[in-house]
Amino acid sequence: MNYDRQDLLEPLAAEFVVGTLREGARRRFQRLCTVLPAARAARTRWEDRLAALALTLAPLTPRAQTWQAIHRQITATKVTSIEPRLRRRLWLPLAAAAAILGIAVWLGPRLLSPPTQVVAVLGADTQHPQWRIERTPDAHQLRVTTLAAMTSNPQKAFELWALPRDGKPPVSLGLLPRAGNATYPLSNAQGAAVLAAGNLAVSVEPAGGSPTGAPTGPVIMVGAVVVSS
Amino acid sequence: MATMSDTDSGELEQLLGRCAAQDPTALEQLYQRVAGILLAIVMRILRQRDLAEDALQDVFVRIWLQSRQYDQIRGRPLAWMISIARYRAIDLVRAQRRMVPLIEEDLPAQLIASDADTSEAGESSRTQSALQHCLDMLSAPQQQCLVLAYQEGLSHEAVATSLGHPLGTVKSWIRRGLQSLRKCLES
Repeated sequence: MNYDRQDLLEPLAAEFVVGTLREGARRRFQRLCTVLPAARAARTRWEDRLAALALTLAPLTPRAQTWQAIHRQITATKVTSIEPRLRRRLWLPLAAAAAILGIAVWLGPRLLSPPTQVVAVLGADTQHPQWRIERTPDAHQLRVTTLAAMTSNPQKAFELWALPRDGKPPVSLGLLPRAGNATYPLSNAQGAAVLAAGNLAVSVEPAGGSPTGAPTGPVIMVGAVVVSS
Repeated sequence: MATMSDTDSGELEQLLGRCAAQDPTALEQLYQRVAGILLAIVMRILRQRDLAEDALQDVFVRIWLQSRQYDQIRGRPLAWMISIARYRAIDLVRAQRRMVPLIEEDLPAQLIASDADTSEAGESSRTQSALQHCLDMLSAPQQQCLVLAYQEGLSHEAVATSLGHPLGTVKSWIRRGLQSLRKCLES
């Protein structure tokens, strides 16, 4: 690492940690940290330097439900084989943070009935399937069936994402229905993303969906795409 | 620069190690030790209790899932967890502000009200005093801009608006303030 480069990294890392980088620059620095150890190291140094500023705040007592919800989530966490495969990928911080909270129910080809093919069934676990996701063979349409009633905050939306196998960023496929069935037309890009996806994921977003085009809320379910015939 | 006492960092590191080995009781112990301060941090940025509690939940699930990567980072464990909390809150608040104007349910005075003991915060007093010493070397406006941006998660524009200074001036105060801080902390 030459001096000039370090000289560029330091102020960037500092403003990233303080939080004053603009959205685009903030994302670029985050991506840089995933590939450049020197950037990561500069960020860690600033995190260490400034943490004391956060410690001047007086602690608050969290509500009892908060720990209960965390406990439920972590004990439902299943470490599946998807994580090692996804390691080193650029969107990993997101996936590692939130993935693996759901598992897919694999449906065999015998359940596939034209004109749609099952892509994945997503749920908190195999006993509680929530949504069945099907696509038309040409991937121009997605059909979603709600398998269980949703009871949740109406101010939040559940957004479906295709996670490409090649590690590119997740592609939004739209907001999932809380009840009943829905059919979505897919753009060519979305259709291609569905065909290339290794996994589908569901994130919790503000009503109306992710404001950034990338998942912003917790990813509550990740399911492998059924290898269809 | 002085750091948290080795014992504290050591204990937190040990707990993170046990989280990496999928021991939920370790996360519970971490929660008991740091949830109060992490909640205060996200609350200061998000300003709504419901959002802050949701964020705290995300933060601990992230700590749990990312604990396996912690040993490669080699920062201090509390600083690592604080960063997870701050980045989560900053992402949330910026996403929110794009959607709807922020509803300030809570008065600023309530934001700093404490309802928990402060023992955890006290453990890093040496780190704090080193940082405080260096902050005191900055000009008053530099110090004010930096603390506001860091603690409240404000953008340059929001700091400029809150303090009534021109944007360019605020940017340069923060940039130079950080440079001076680094020199002072490394000396």
